[in-house]
Amino acid sequence: MASTIKSDNGVSSGVTGIVQTADSSGQLALQTTNSAGTAVTALTLNNSQQATFANTINVPNTFGFKNRIINGAMVIDQRNAGASVATPAGYTLDRWQVLQSTTGKISTQQNQGSVTPPSGFSNYLGVTSGSAYSVGSGDYYLILQNIEGYNVADLGYGTANAKTVTISFQVYSSLTGTFGGALTNGAGTRSYPFTYTVVSANTWTTISVTIAGDTTGTWGSTNSVGMQLIFGLGVGSTHSGTPGSWSNSAYYSATGAVSVVGTNGATFYITGVQLEVGTQATSFDYRPFTTELALCQRYCFVPNLTYNNYSGVCNSTTSGLVSLSLPVPMRIAPAGTFSGSFSGDNGLVVQTYSAANVSLNNSGVNTVRVYFTGGSGTAFTGGQAFGSNAASTGTIILSSEL
Amino acid sequence: MYKLQLDAISKQSNSMVFRDVDNTSIPMIVDNTDYQQFVRDIKSGAQLNDAEGNPITGSDLTTFMETLP
Repeated sequence: MASTIKSDNGVSSGVTGIVQTADSSGQLALQTTNSAGTAVTALTLNNSQQATFANTINVPNTFGFKNRIINGAMVIDQRNAGASVATPAGYTLDRWQVLQSTTGKISTQQNQGSVTPPSGFSNYLGVTSGSAYSVGSGDYYLILQNIEGYNVADLGYGTANAKTVTISFQVYSSLTGTFGGALTNGAGTRSYPFTYTVVSANTWTTISVTIAGDTTGTWGSTNSVGMQLIFGLGVGSTHSGTPGSWSNSAYYSATGAVSVVGTNGATFYITGVQLEVGTQATSFDYRPFTTELALCQRYCFVPNLTYNNYSGVCNSTTSGLVSLSLPVPMRIAPAGTFSGSFSGDNGLVVQTYSAANVSLNNSGVNTVRVYFTGGSGTAFTGGQAFGSNAASTGTIILSSEL
Repeated sequence: MYKLQLDAISKQSNSMVFRDVDNTSIPMIVDNTDYQQFVRDIKSGAQLNDAEGNPITGSDLTTFMETLP
């Protein structure tokens, strides 16, 4: 039994209104009446405060993949494994890109500065300014995430049904004031500059920004860029716009926003980034580590070559080919960047290869073929098994980033 | 500088190009951002070599560019 609150449509009782009953159970049932006038319990709250819904739950936020941002908790760092990147001109933590109109103004690192992350998080993306740089009109210093079109197609941007989204995150900066960012389409022909305020320096601050959906413009809905979420670290007037409305311009931030690169040693730390449907920020969508890693590996995969799987074959006295199966289908056939020294063997003898002598010989979304050539060491015989060797210290970064 | 790659077995084009500044193999796919950069670089005058290391210039380069996706 339970106390009840019933919305009576009057079909059976002849009286419309809210009807209450009470008992001593301490439980509460919310009831609605169907077309026949019969009361049906929709929600029960027991005396342990547990809620039981009788039917489906419809809310603006989806429960699966609520957060359209990948690696919003800044956990995955395949490229750098937590090391500092002095002059990033590309991707830093997985899925997070650094763009600098002139490189070398900032450094980035997972958990840079070793401050205590905000409650509920173990990691953050840290940015530190390396100089006091006055941005020119065309300058831009940004961290951003390109969201694949498949992951935001349901938002209906560019249509009359475009959905309102809310961006939330935790930020910590040595600076205070009004910071800026923007939500844009992939082509940079639609942008919505926004602001947020950091009142207290060196304190984690929870930020929430709600943006009405854009009913115009062209927004990617497949495997190209669907949407860009940008945080400005110093943006000149050309790419700064009035906050709070959609524009046809390529705005990356809001006019008058704080410039992190303008102060030598200034810090900007961020984590818990979430972009979700609706007008309210909800709790952060924590995903299992393996799920988050797999989501990242659609765009970047750093294989471990320090084991012998002999999946390859020697195709000359000094070369070998190894096929690598990718853990998830990548967005497109990836490019492969090689650094360091590699080692391979046929089970009998070992050869070493410089990064310049290793390449992708084929690239696909499910498999790549790595070609080790010009090896130094005892000669192989063509047709023998070949595997990357545990002595390899080199790194392969496979990238199909947006 | 870029260099065209060959398939290790067939010795024919494998539709990949190697960027030597950072030892990156790039598939010639329109949606690949490294490929997009390759096209921009070549149009801006960056050197492109064939698989044997010979520079591709003049009308040969123009013809090659016309075949790109």
